[in-house]
Amino acid sequence: MISLVVAVLREATPMIYVAMAGMLAQRAGVWNLGLEGLMITGACAGVVITERVGSVLAGVAGAVLFSVLLSVLLWVVIEKLRANPIIAGLGLTGLGLSGTDLAIQAIYGSEAAVTAPAGIPTLGPAYGILGVLDVLVLLMPFTVLALWVLLRRTRFGLRLAACGEHPFAARSVGADPGRMRLLALVLGGVLAGLGGADLSLGGLQIFSINMTAGRGFMAFAAVIFGAAHPLGTTLAVLFFSLVEYLGIKAQLVFGENAPRDFILMLPYLATVLGIWISARLRGGAVVNSAELRDS
Amino acid sequence: MRDDHTRLGALPVSRRQAILAGGAAVGLGVLGLPLIGEQAFAAGKLVALVHTQAAGDDGPIDDMIAHLKALSKEKDFPIRAIYAADPSTYQSILTTLAKAGAGIIVTTFNEMADPLKAVAPAYPDTKFVQLYADPFNPTIPNILTVEYQAHYGMYLAGLFGAKISQSQRLGYIGGVSLPGLNADLNAMKAAAASVSINAKVKGAFAGSFQDPAKGREIANQLFSSGVDFIQTDGAATDAGVIRAAGEGGNRIVSAVFRTQFKLGPKTVAASVLVNFGQSLTDQVNFALSGTFAGGHHVSNLADGIIDFVPSPLFMANGPADYVMRAKAAWPAVDAAKQEIIQGSLKVPFDTKL
Repeated sequence: MISLVVAVLREATPMIYVAMAGMLAQRAGVWNLGLEGLMITGACAGVVITERVGSVLAGVAGAVLFSVLLSVLLWVVIEKLRANPIIAGLGLTGLGLSGTDLAIQAIYGSEAAVTAPAGIPTLGPAYGILGVLDVLVLLMPFTVLALWVLLRRTRFGLRLAACGEHPFAARSVGADPGRMRLLALVLGGVLAGLGGADLSLGGLQIFSINMTAGRGFMAFAAVIFGAAHPLGTTLAVLFFSLVEYLGIKAQLVFGENAPRDFILMLPYLATVLGIWISARLRGGAVVNSAELRDS
Repeated sequence: MRDDHTRLGALPVSRRQAILAGGAAVGLGVLGLPLIGEQAFAAGKLVALVHTQAAGDDGPIDDMIAHLKALSKEKDFPIRAIYAADPSTYQSILTTLAKAGAGIIVTTFNEMADPLKAVAPAYPDTKFVQLYADPFNPTIPNILTVEYQAHYGMYLAGLFGAKISQSQRLGYIGGVSLPGLNADLNAMKAAAASVSINAKVKGAFAGSFQDPAKGREIANQLFSSGVDFIQTDGAATDAGVIRAAGEGGNRIVSAVFRTQFKLGPKTVAASVLVNFGQSLTDQVNFALSGTFAGGHHVSNLADGIIDFVPSPLFMANGPADYVMRAKAAWPAVDAAKQEIIQGSLKVPFDTKL
């Protein structure tokens, strides 16, 4: 049982940080389909900077910095250049995936996996099976709680929600939706950078091309499934990770007797079902962002 | 800035000028490929490598390019290495090279089969080699397909694993369930069963060749279930398997590239090898020899293209009991290798799981 919890937490934590970034953007009225790009950029920057500088802290800081820069770029494209947020987000994902590939080739002259000399500190062998959990996994529940407080119990959170849901109304009381979107995307950039860094530096200490393998999109699905609520989104990611864990277990237990491709498909099937169920519970899917309605 | 102008750097350029300049650039690019090809051919026998996976993988493609470069220096012919990322361009790339008069065009992997069948008959003076391919039926006179019987290497890995495993529980983690990888898993099972009826192999696929995090998770579940030897077969996914091996004791891995030895000096005991570079050298030499004939060539343990080798790093740094077992197991591995080469030991290519 403990091994299941440990495995799910390790798989889920990077996605939870990234999903929190998506949740903040969603609250601000931006459907951030660039999460995959932010995550892969954070993963790449984390390992490369750690490998070059020799400091994990510098690696994590670099991951956050690059992710924030890309988030600001997304804001400029959406807000200043008036691009469609969904297309801009997909573009950001493409930029992240291909940009990291290009960067690795330019820096190392090869697409081969890059290994960092150290990773994010873990609890260590003294804690037995829990010893593999790293600092970002331990901080994750507090981060989610802090975000819940920020969104539900602070002026900033209420204004952010107002700007996302009714930008006209928010403007009428003096809030600046554009500025709030920038703040949400920048804070999201920090979180997505941490998620990317945790994926590559938390235990693996490796970056390889396309290693996010769709986790950014799963995080986006979790935002929808969790109704853009910090706790709901976190539970959605934990559910996806549990399904992933059980999928592997099923493959090992029933592999000889069950179609492997179907078992591999289970996490994605669960994602689709989860989104469908959440849409049904809310009385229908959200068809558009508030900003698009606004305009 | 007026609407009919856009800013390119500091220069105001009209939209019309920008479109014309872009069109001219594309046109020159399209015209340029054959021109470059003809210049190269004029200097000698152009040998082109059209690879469908990116270079710089520290694996098969880099190995092929390095061997092609070495051969071109030795035999003095021009070369081109072209990365064909988009399947819709395969046929046009082959046609352009053949039209430019390339003497030999080497391609990689099964996805090139149909473009080769479409292009090769129209260019009988060009010799085509497809590495990692299934045979064509009927054969085409100027196409040589090359098959790699990597499952023989996996059989040796299964034999080695069963001999060094203390729990007699082995694991296999592949990238994607493809016929070749299914055959690898079945070969490993057959080898383990030949050592002991108690030796069992559990196989799993990550669903991706680029997901080390999932590789780590599958490996951890396998190790937790009592497995102490895992054969990797999943390219970049393997890195996660090797990391998982480093997270506990009694965890040994066999890899698929020599370059993976350094990722786990205490855990990566050996590697199945497919020497793509040497294979390319052999087939280009054959095409240059004047005795070239289309058909199908099978590479395996006999020609040294497929192999199973120990890691010198592991032998020096690995856990003492496993190193001792590995050294003790090696004569049996060598003996099995000879039996496969001589044909007295059959390893079926069984793709059904």
